Amino acid sequence: MFEALWDNRDYVAAVVLFCIGLYVIIAKDNLIKKLLGLNIMETAVFAFIVTVGVVDGGEPPILGPGATPPYASPLPHALVLTGIVVAVSTTALALSLIIRIHRQCGTIEADELREME
Amino acid sequence: MKKAATAALLIVTAIPMLIGVAALPRHGDPQAPVHTGVSARYLEGGAAEGGTPNIVANILLNYRGLDTAGEVIVIFTALVAGLAALLTAPPLFTRARRMPPAARAASAPPVSPVVGFVVRLLAPFIALFAIYIIVHGHASPGGGFQGGAILGGLFVVLTIVLGEERALTLMPRAAAPWMQAAAVIAFVAVGVIGAALTGYFLGFPVETMHLAAKLMMIALEAGIGLGGAAIFATLFLEMETA
Repeated sequence: MFEALWDNRDYVAAVVLFCIGLYVIIAKDNLIKKLLGLNIMETAVFAFIVTVGVVDGGEPPILGPGATPPYASPLPHALVLTGIVVAVSTTALALSLIIRIHRQCGTIEADELREME
Repeated sequence: MKKAATAALLIVTAIPMLIGVAALPRHGDPQAPVHTGVSARYLEGGAAEGGTPNIVANILLNYRGLDTAGEVIVIFTALVAGLAALLTAPPLFTRARRMPPAARAASAPPVSPVVGFVVRLLAPFIALFAIYIIVHGHASPGGGFQGGAILGGLFVVLTIVLGEERALTLMPRAAAPWMQAAAVIAFVAVGVIGAALTGYFLGFPVETMHLAAKLMMIALEAGIGLGGAAIFATLFLEMETA
């Protein structure tokens, strides 16, 4: 078990990063900090998926003169590129909504917003 | 109490993930499913079928082109929704109400002359780098989204240094909606051209008309880059004025 974890320590790093993001979302009341936590979680997932594509002694999957196999798997790269764009979109929308909340309620602290209800 | 509950929740979340991670194939194992499945097929046939050496760009624009079209629509929708949230809100609590750009520029803190000089000096090179990343993305690391992000960042920096009015000359009011929708427009246009040439929406005539396929790919990348940059720039400007 621990040997397998050590072999896959890159994945363990992604798990740790994910938990840090989750902690920020739960523990912080400021909405922007919560959004940053969400971004950390997204980064953890992207790092994990990209890392999965690594191969021993691999090269970037860009064929052409001078390129020799083995190549890193291109599929995770393409999926993560899509994921990053969606993450940017959610971040932009969430920031707009936070600005709107600030305008209408005067605060972006979750506990103060709860008291207002 | 709350801290203990948070810690417990984190541990309960982490343990199943760690168990799952330990059971995955060894990191870098060439026999892992991620290397033997469809990826191996993409690497084997991709350069000939897709017509580009960069297999990642190939998957994005050719094999999974419809996915990328959906993605472009997602980011455009995020822009529309963000603007809807920002522009319709009554400014109840904000002290700084919407000021005309000139008044805001006058009230903004001054930019350090060093920063201003360096940004002015580097701006053409940053723009050149972004354009290279966009139009050469099918053959080297890069692509429309990456180059678009660089262009958008350049716009943000120029807005801070030169002021909003001068930066806006890069994105005139009349052209702004077209630039924001450039990625969607490029996908529809290239998709229809592909349908006319190959019979499939977003089909690329790689074997029959290699040059046309390459130009279609560059047009897609350019549309994605321009559209992405315009969307970043618009969101930045609207959030800055909010």
